[in-house]
Amino acid sequence: MCVLCGQDFVAQVHWTDRHIEDRARASGPAADPGEYQRDRRRDRVHRTVLTNEVLRHYGLRVEDWSGSKYVLRDRKGGTELIQHLGSLWPAAAKLAGRPLDPLDPGLREALSAAHDG
Amino acid sequence: MTVVTGFLGSGKTTLLGRVLSEPSMTNTAVLVNEFGEVGLDHHLLRRVDERTVLLGSGCVCCTTREDLVGALLELLDMDQRGKIPRLDRVVIETTGLADPAPILYTIFTDPVLQHHFSVDLVLTTVDAVNGHLHLDRNPESLKQVAAADKIVVTKTDIAESSTVRGLLPRLGTINPSARILEAAFGEVDVDELFRPGEMGSHAVPESPVAEPHELHDVGETHSVSVTFDGPIDWTAFGIWFSMLLHARGEDVLRVKGLLDVGEAGPIVLNGVQHIIHPPEHLDGWPDEDHDSRIIFITKRIRPEEILGSLDAFQKLLGARPVPRRTEHSVSLP
Repeated sequence: MCVLCGQDFVAQVHWTDRHIEDRARASGPAADPGEYQRDRRRDRVHRTVLTNEVLRHYGLRVEDWSGSKYVLRDRKGGTELIQHLGSLWPAAAKLAGRPLDPLDPGLREALSAAHDG
Repeated sequence: MTVVTGFLGSGKTTLLGRVLSEPSMTNTAVLVNEFGEVGLDHHLLRRVDERTVLLGSGCVCCTTREDLVGALLELLDMDQRGKIPRLDRVVIETTGLADPAPILYTIFTDPVLQHHFSVDLVLTTVDAVNGHLHLDRNPESLKQVAAADKIVVTKTDIAESSTVRGLLPRLGTINPSARILEAAFGEVDVDELFRPGEMGSHAVPESPVAEPHELHDVGETHSVSVTFDGPIDWTAFGIWFSMLLHARGEDVLRVKGLLDVGEAGPIVLNGVQHIIHPPEHLDGWPDEDHDSRIIFITKRIRPEEILGSLDAFQKLLGARPVPRRTEHSVSLP
């Protein structure tokens, strides 16, 4: 990690982040670099909103941290710094004290209730 | 790069020996784990000792095969220095007991290899004579079948034709997304074998093998084919699927599909256990059918659970999951 800007030198792009990189690459070297950043930011905001819908059931929240990482928090002040969705779930399981399973009937009910309401 | 896997004695080496004698395969390098009784004669043959490095998480499929990294880097080096003729393809033959997932993981995560190699095919050989026995007794062979893009049924010359007829539907039921080919004593159409999906992409699902109902269950493994009633939100799907893989990754043997994300072309999704191929955006659909289609092959997870969970996520996904009826046609060649 760079000590000045907190940016990791990430060699590994998680598969859920790949589409942004691909889109930037497809638009070629002449493309506006600002567009890539806006696209990326938009995607991160969208992902944060959606992820929080799921995390609510476990009393957790995730926030974008200056566009480079995400901060995951529980209600007791516990925090974890995470890089992408791949590292979110283990960190969330640690904070929640139980595994987060999309097949869990409790979560399914909570999401369906939010949908109906 | 092609990964050839298959249970002990299922004819991997015989098949390779046959295939490598084709002139079109001259610029192919071969990595094998062991020199078997059937000698392979090829100028780019390398032997690698299976050396695995288990990562902190302790999950078997997320292990790095250091031997493979070393061997592939060496090949790359020789190729780029011009010491060997230009490499077209690398074939990796696994041991009979190997799980193919770590090989994929190694290639997708290595900082150098991921930019130079891509896996176009996983080929699995199944012995027509002992296939049923292997599938009954060995979870490894089940994983190998589930991981396959193409399945080659070998030894059809010495097997009873009734056994072969029984085996083909069983393989199709375990892995409806794989194409099944038959080979007697390694005799197989090389072009057909190494040609990736019609799109030049590795992950276009073939139309599922004839089964009048959409939910397939073979003992503990299940497969379900799903579509959605509209375009889905790729970010939401990423959240759902990464969560599923974290919680139940070892029970998700395979996932393969095309997803309509509201753009001109679909996203190709292909995963073996935790290991997801880099998702690919296509510029257009491969055929007339522009609906999402995705096949999940699972162990211990019932199809209703997958559908129920996707249904609960429908507000985030932006579309409702619908079990997909498979066509009554057989896509066997």
